[in-house]
Amino acid sequence: MTTLTHPTDPARTDTPSVSSGPGLSFAALIRSEWIKLWSVRSTVWSLSLVVVVSLGMAAVMAWATTLQLDSMGGATDLSVLPAAEQAGIVLQAATFGIFFGQLIVAVLGVLVISGEYSTGMIKSTLTAVPRRLGALAAKAVVLFACTFAVGIVSTVGSFLVAAPMLAGEGLSVSLFGPTVLLALLGASLYLGLVAVFALGIGTILRSAAGGIAAVLGALLLLPIVLSMVPAQWATDASPYLLSNAGTALFSTTTTMDPWQGLLVVLGWIVAAGGLAAVLLRKRDA
Amino acid sequence: MIQAQSLTKRYGSKTAVDSADFTVEPGKVTGFLGPNGAGKSTTMRMIVGLDKPTSGSVIVNGKAYREHKAPLREVGVLLDAKAVHTGRSAYNHLRALAATHRIPASRVDEVIALTGLESVARKRVGGFSLGMGQRLGIAAALLGDPATLILDEPVNGLDPEGVQWVRRLTRQLAGEGRTVLLSSHLMSEMALTADHLIVLGRGRVIADAPVADIIASANRSTVRVRTPDSSGLANLLAQPDVTVTSIEQGLLEIVGVTAVEIGDQAARAGIVLHELTPVSASLEEAYMSLTQDEVEYRTGGLSSTNESETPALQEAAR
Repeated sequence: MTTLTHPTDPARTDTPSVSSGPGLSFAALIRSEWIKLWSVRSTVWSLSLVVVVSLGMAAVMAWATTLQLDSMGGATDLSVLPAAEQAGIVLQAATFGIFFGQLIVAVLGVLVISGEYSTGMIKSTLTAVPRRLGALAAKAVVLFACTFAVGIVSTVGSFLVAAPMLAGEGLSVSLFGPTVLLALLGASLYLGLVAVFALGIGTILRSAAGGIAAVLGALLLLPIVLSMVPAQWATDASPYLLSNAGTALFSTTTTMDPWQGLLVVLGWIVAAGGLAAVLLRKRDA
Repeated sequence: MIQAQSLTKRYGSKTAVDSADFTVEPGKVTGFLGPNGAGKSTTMRMIVGLDKPTSGSVIVNGKAYREHKAPLREVGVLLDAKAVHTGRSAYNHLRALAATHRIPASRVDEVIALTGLESVARKRVGGFSLGMGQRLGIAAALLGDPATLILDEPVNGLDPEGVQWVRRLTRQLAGEGRTVLLSSHLMSEMALTADHLIVLGRGRVIADAPVADIIASANRSTVRVRTPDSSGLANLLAQPDVTVTSIEQGLLEIVGVTAVEIGDQAARAGIVLHELTPVSASLEEAYMSLTQDEVEYRTGGLSSTNESETPALQEAAR
């Protein structure tokens, strides 16, 4: 009550404050968003689904690979392949679930904010945090931390499922090999970043249906549409799409280096998050 | 303490709040009245920064709401009983709000007990009745033990016991020196709860006065008269500022003359009266006539920001 911006009756503005205590802080907002995230059912089931689907996909992929190898004749001994190629085969199985996992965390990312708009909760949130951006930032941090952690569990788990199955084909790949660990980390990072991107889109559109459609469109539809355009620019632009750049974080089959892919993914997040922040500040709740 | 100055909100061409000036003072319950669409909720939303004013300003406890370091400890607000995620339990909803200001879990338990939500606190809010939703909204408003409370239609959906509880609670909070701003459609409720009224009509403040003054000044008393010679009495009392309405055969409602004068004049003229009953204006009638004026005079560009003008306007309307 030190600044007085209102000229009316200044003598009366010193209302005795009935209570005092800690005010807003970013750590407190993180705690609040953590409670919010884990106190709705959709978080638990969607994140569990990411793990289950990833492990399942890894098993299916590894099994399909062994079948394929066996059908090529019994004489396949993959232990003669270079270490990098051996790692590539196992990683392909271990990160296959990310393609499905990204869709689930995208839906979760949209729901985290659109659920607040559809229920009216956003009014409570923005009344508690009237400067608004702190609430969005805390949401992004908590969502990223949780989806990244789930990504680690999923990809490392998937590796531990796939590696023993493929060991029968002579593939000997250690989890702690530098390329393996970096790729699994990259896949987890991508999962967390897709969730944050979806949070941004959900904040911009403020609706579950619109947000989910837009994010899934960006992840799934854009690459297909672009690949159908018979022009050089379409081919040139393709690696810069969110899902294609994201794949570069954990796959050796793309044209980009992992760090380039990461920069492109971060670019998508800055664009969506920046617009979301501007609109959140500007719009009436 | 809430101070609004030339507070204006336009949505496109529609003006929801039109240069509202008012002060809500601590230590009393201030009622915020107005028909639907008068701008009450919009004003309340602007006070806590959910909507930005098109022009003008409003400050709470000395500064704009968003400038406060601990907003929930300054202002408690119930804007909409549905401002809760339906998939979350009442307890977790309050815990999440409390966490933003490091309000301890013991305070969450306190407000749950205070609002009588113990038995449903762990249930998901989606299954709550309107009344339980209101109680949860009030619990959230009380979390930070704020000096200022803003409650939009708090008794909406409550049972009679709940209505009484809100009445006692708001009186108690004002008694502790807090600023309490309360909106309601129930005029009778306002008469029992509020000390002061701010009446909005089409976004303008059309009255800002103690409840008693509004009842007294906004509408003069009506007198009900039963007489076999109604036309004779009507002619006798005929004057520009007197209104005589025939309710049924032999029953009149007269505004603008006291019961004593009617009785005296009728006796002098030898007109028989079978009934002579002063009907005092209720707050509801006072409110209706206030807001009616605002509607009627809207297109004429007249505004009545001072309640003392209102009786004159009413007469002009007749």
